[in-house]
Amino acid sequence: MSESPQNIHLPDSIVKWVNVGIFVVDRGMKITLWNNFMANHSGRGADTVIGRNLFDCFPELPKTWLSKKIQSVFILKNFAFTSWEQRPYLFHFPHNRPITGSVDFMLQNCTFMPVKNETGEIDSVCITLFDATDTGISQTELKNAMDRLSEDSNRDGLTGIYNRRYLEQHLLTEFDRSKRYGGHFSFMLFDLDHFKKVNDTYGHLAGDAVLCAVSQHINSLLRTVDVLGRYGGEEFGVILPSTNLEGAIVVAEKLKQIVAQTPVMHKETAIPITVSIGVTEFKAETPNYEHLIHCADLALYFSKENGRNRVTRYTDELESKNNLRPTLFT
Amino acid sequence: MARKMLIKALPSSWDVDITQAGNGEEALAAYRAGKADVMFLDLTMPVMDGFQVLEALQKEGLNSFVIVVSADIQPIAQERVKKLGAIAFIKKPVASDAIESVLKQYGVAL
Amino acid sequence: MSVRPLTEDQRDAMQEITNIAMGQAGSLLATLLGVFVNLSVPRINVLALSDVADAIGSMVGRNIEITAVRQSFHGYLRGEAIVIYGRDGCKELGDLMGYDEVLDRTDEIELLLDVSNILVGACLGGIIDQIKGITEAHGAGELSFSAPSLMAENVPAEVLINPDKLTWTHALLMEVNFTLEGRNFISHLCMLMPGGSIEKMRNILDEFVASF
Repeated sequence: MSESPQNIHLPDSIVKWVNVGIFVVDRGMKITLWNNFMANHSGRGADTVIGRNLFDCFPELPKTWLSKKIQSVFILKNFAFTSWEQRPYLFHFPHNRPITGSVDFMLQNCTFMPVKNETGEIDSVCITLFDATDTGISQTELKNAMDRLSEDSNRDGLTGIYNRRYLEQHLLTEFDRSKRYGGHFSFMLFDLDHFKKVNDTYGHLAGDAVLCAVSQHINSLLRTVDVLGRYGGEEFGVILPSTNLEGAIVVAEKLKQIVAQTPVMHKETAIPITVSIGVTEFKAETPNYEHLIHCADLALYFSKENGRNRVTRYTDELESKNNLRPTLFT
Repeated sequence: MARKMLIKALPSSWDVDITQAGNGEEALAAYRAGKADVMFLDLTMPVMDGFQVLEALQKEGLNSFVIVVSADIQPIAQERVKKLGAIAFIKKPVASDAIESVLKQYGVAL
Repeated sequence: MSVRPLTEDQRDAMQEITNIAMGQAGSLLATLLGVFVNLSVPRINVLALSDVADAIGSMVGRNIEITAVRQSFHGYLRGEAIVIYGRDGCKELGDLMGYDEVLDRTDEIELLLDVSNILVGACLGGIIDQIKGITEAHGAGELSFSAPSLMAENVPAEVLINPDKLTWTHALLMEVNFTLEGRNFISHLCMLMPGGSIEKMRNILDEFVASF
């Protein structure tokens, strides 16, 4: 070694002063090295912890888990890691954002390294601890923003309920799941009756208000697992998980009735609204999710055809009736 | 390469002819043709793996003297090959003295 | 851009070295999960960037969804290891470990990262151990590893590597896979080294071959 005398202690003082936690434990979990970062953040100086058992000094550590982790380094002779994303912290250290931080303790990333002695045996494990609080906070903020964005892209701009894209995507997911694991779910399409007349009579702003009010109202009547989306114009779709056709008919009848009983108030004018509904259910032989849309749409067509403000369930007969329908209606 | 590494680890004093096989099927054919007294057999091989070779040898009732040389060091793998009639298991990378001690144990003249 | 493949000898040596290393990794996995692990014959190839996504697709299977963990290694040789599991790989591992308590998502990811780290460490460690005599003569120290991170969850295998976003032109790919006896579980370990490391590896392999 050709180190100049004044540099002999360089590595030692780097370990001591670097702004990263560094400590070493032996096979008996006794602390053999404890740098300044560790001392400052824990409030325990090296002289008070060296030679003592790690878990005796810091009872707040997750002992079972952490000793297993350290053991694995001895056994596998391999690096091991922990990340704040899975385990926010090991030590209860205060963080450096007491004002702007949204976390309890310093977020920590740790690396566990096997340390060999002169004979090549691994006799201790060195743990480095990085303060990940800043990264953690900004990543969490970023993720929240991304979640909001993706949530936004699933929403209908006017009514705030899900849009057609999301509705179809969810229908596909529900279809795949039921195809694979069995179980049932139903799908309904409904349409506001004579909506064009509403627009013509009360104006487009009133029409928009009606769409918003009705979709909010219906959303509040559904279960949280149900998915309501605007299919387009004045047409809406609802996915009802774990609901068979009979159950879906009950829901549809209830919605139809409540909507009819609750006129929408717009600038002190009560606008009466009714809906026509078509309902269908998933069956093992349903070929694809598009078929469910077709069935609900056909049933909806017959609700309109038979006088509106009513619920029609999809049956195979509707298909044959539909075939007899003069082409001028299509 | 696996074969080269093995051949280099064989005792230099051992006076033998060596036939090499690129996979289990070739090995089996060579054995059937009577070209081997001792077979060093790898487990991880294309076409036919070592386990299959041992099974075939056992089925055909060939009087075999097979030493398995493998990177597959799972204890269950070692048990299995012994059940299938292998006389010894040597782990890779092969150490010359491991081979020598097995051969000596079975009274092979070196 | 044309890619110079490994010579037959180089590929053969790399395959054997990888085979020995994966034996060690497989044995750890077997101990960890308490089941017999079937080892594959390693696949070794130098690939152009544009072919990597395709190669991964054909190894893992097309039109299936995968979960992947990545980890980088650096030292004399540098590159990244990607461990690929099937769809819901997290859940599968949790089931295999047979924990009594129900694992929440965080526990599952942590387990996935831990197991990946063990496989990568054992496999790369095993490779480095065998060529140590050669690399040390070139002044190489020990390899160090970055923390593993979740790369993708339940995405199609083909989209795992997006050539448009990457800057390297070709890479050495080493792939091994572990299947579990009697279980529907597969894990692919892909080690990728870019440009400069390939040349170093060629020299190492030439010396390795010459030593036998």
